[in-house]
Amino acid sequence: MDLDHKGLNGQIINDQIMNKNITDRFQWKDRLLGLILPVALLFAWQGLVNLKLYSDLILVPPLKVVGTLVYLAGTGELTTHILISLQRVLTGFLIGASSGFLLGLLMGLSATINRSLGPFIKALKQVPEFAWMPMIILVFGMDELAKDVFIAIGAFYPMVFNTYQGVSGVPHKYQELARVFDFKNIRFLQKVVLPSALPSILTGLRLSIGLSWMFVVGAELFGTESGIGYMMYSGREMFQIDVVIAGLVVIGAIGFIMNALLKVVENRVLVWNVSVEGGQG
Amino acid sequence: MDIIVAENIRKKFKLKNGQKVKNNGVVSDEVEALSGFNLKIRKGEFLVLVGPSGSGKSVFLDLVSGLSAPTGGVIYLDGKPVQAPSAKTGYVFQQYALFPWRTALSNVECGLEAKGVPKDERVRIARELLSLFGLSDFEDRFPYQLSGGMQQRVSIARALATKPEVLLMDEPFAALDAQTREILQNELIRIWEGTDTTVIFVTHSIDEAVFLADRVAVVTARPGRIKELIEIDLPRPRTGEIRSSTEFARNRHKVWLALKSEVSKAEQYTKLATGFAG
Repeated sequence: MDLDHKGLNGQIINDQIMNKNITDRFQWKDRLLGLILPVALLFAWQGLVNLKLYSDLILVPPLKVVGTLVYLAGTGELTTHILISLQRVLTGFLIGASSGFLLGLLMGLSATINRSLGPFIKALKQVPEFAWMPMIILVFGMDELAKDVFIAIGAFYPMVFNTYQGVSGVPHKYQELARVFDFKNIRFLQKVVLPSALPSILTGLRLSIGLSWMFVVGAELFGTESGIGYMMYSGREMFQIDVVIAGLVVIGAIGFIMNALLKVVENRVLVWNVSVEGGQG
Repeated sequence: MDIIVAENIRKKFKLKNGQKVKNNGVVSDEVEALSGFNLKIRKGEFLVLVGPSGSGKSVFLDLVSGLSAPTGGVIYLDGKPVQAPSAKTGYVFQQYALFPWRTALSNVECGLEAKGVPKDERVRIARELLSLFGLSDFEDRFPYQLSGGMQQRVSIARALATKPEVLLMDEPFAALDAQTREILQNELIRIWEGTDTTVIFVTHSIDEAVFLADRVAVVTARPGRIKELIEIDLPRPRTGEIRSSTEFARNRHKVWLALKSEVSKAEQYTKLATGFAG
C-alpha cells in the first residue's frame, strides 16, 4: 500500500477534527444568543416593579425571588423537596420506561404483537395525562403508589413508541448482514437490533425522563406534604408568590440540566453515530 | 473441478400491489429476473459477471449466498444444494455494508463471532487482515470516520475473515471514485492471487471485469441467462500497468462486443417498462 494514500486519509480525519472545533465555537455563540431573552425579561420584570403599578405582594421583585431561593436552600427545605421529587420521578420513570421499552421491543420484533396492541396503545395515548388523575385516585388512593403510577403513565408513551420505531426500523441491509454472519435469536437482538435501535431508544429515554419530571409536579397536587410541587402549591395558598416563582425556576433549571446531562450521555454512547456529532439538545 | 454449478435457474419476483410490467407485450405483476441460467464455476477462479442493469446479476449472488431461494432449478456448492447462508460463502455488498456502531476491527470480527472463535483469536485474525489492506492505524475508527475506499477494504477484510471458499462481491467498488477504484482493484487482485478462494464478482465496468477476471460471464438483458463466457488471457500476477497493454484492449473489445447488443436490448425494455429498477 502506498503511504501517500494513507497520509491523505490521515489529513481528511484531521480536517474533520478541526471542523468540529470550529462548530464548537459557533455553538458557544449560539448559546450566548439564547441568554438574551431571559436577561431582557429580567430587566422588563424589574422595570415593571420600579413603576410601582402593583403591590410588592403581587409583583415581587426578582431579587426577592433570589433571596427566597437562597433562604430555602439555606434551611435545607429546598434540597429536601427536590430530593423527594427526584425520588418520585425515578420510581415512576423506572416503572413506565421499562414497561414501555419491553412492550416497544416486542411490538417492534413481532408484527402480530404490534397489530394486536398498537392501535389500543395509540388510542390510550390520546387521553391527556391529567385526565387519568381522577381514575388513579379512585383506584390507588392518594399515596405514593398513585403518584408513581401517574408519572409512569407519562414516562411510558415516549419509550414505547421510540423503542418500537427503532426496533422495527432496523435497515434491511443490516438484517441481510445478520443472516450472512449467522446472527440469530439473542445474538441478532444483541448485535444488530439493539445497536441499530439505540439512537431511537435513547431519544425515548430522554423524552421519558423529561415528561416524568414535568408530571411529578402534577402528582404532588394531591395527598402529599413534600416535593417541589407541594412547595409551590403551599406557596400559592399562603400567597407567597416568591416561593411559587422560585419553584418554577428550580423546576426549569433541573429539567434543563437533566436534559443536558442525558444529551452528554447520549453523545458518549453514540460516538459511532454521524448524526449525533454536533447535534443540539 | 467445479465448485459451483447452477442448473437451469429461474427467479421470479412479485411486484408490489398494483404495479405492472410489460414483457413482450404481456402485462404481468411478476418480473422474471433469471430464466434458464446455467453456469459452472471452477474452484479457485475469479469469475466476473457483467450485463445490463436489471439482468439479475446481483440476484444470482443472493441465490449462491443462500439469502434467497430460486423459483426453479438448483445451485450446488461443493456438490450440495444451497439452502441457507453458510460460512462457505463470504459476501461483500456495494454500500452501507459495515455496522456503523462497530469499529473497523470489530466489524472484521463479525463473521467469527457466530462461529465461536475466542476473542483473542478473533482480534488476531482481524488485525492481520486489516494490516493486509494497510488499515492497521485505523482499527479503532468507526465507519463514518473512514473514507469510502477504506470502508470497502474493511468490508472485504471482514468477508475474508472466515476464510470462505467462495467470495461474492456485488459491485463492491461502484460507489468509489475512479482513482480509489483502481487502487482497490490492484489491492484485491494482489491479495486474491495469494489465496485459493473462488470469487464471483458483479460489475458494470468492462475495464474492471477484464482486469480482475479469469473468465467474464456476459449476462443477457432480463430475464438474465449466460450469453457468453469469455476467457481473459492476461498473465498473472497482474499489476496496474497491464491496463495499458494491447492484450488488455483486445480482451476488452471481446467483452464489449458481447455486451453491446444486450445493453441496447435492455434500454428498449426500460423504455417499455418504466417503474422497474430491478
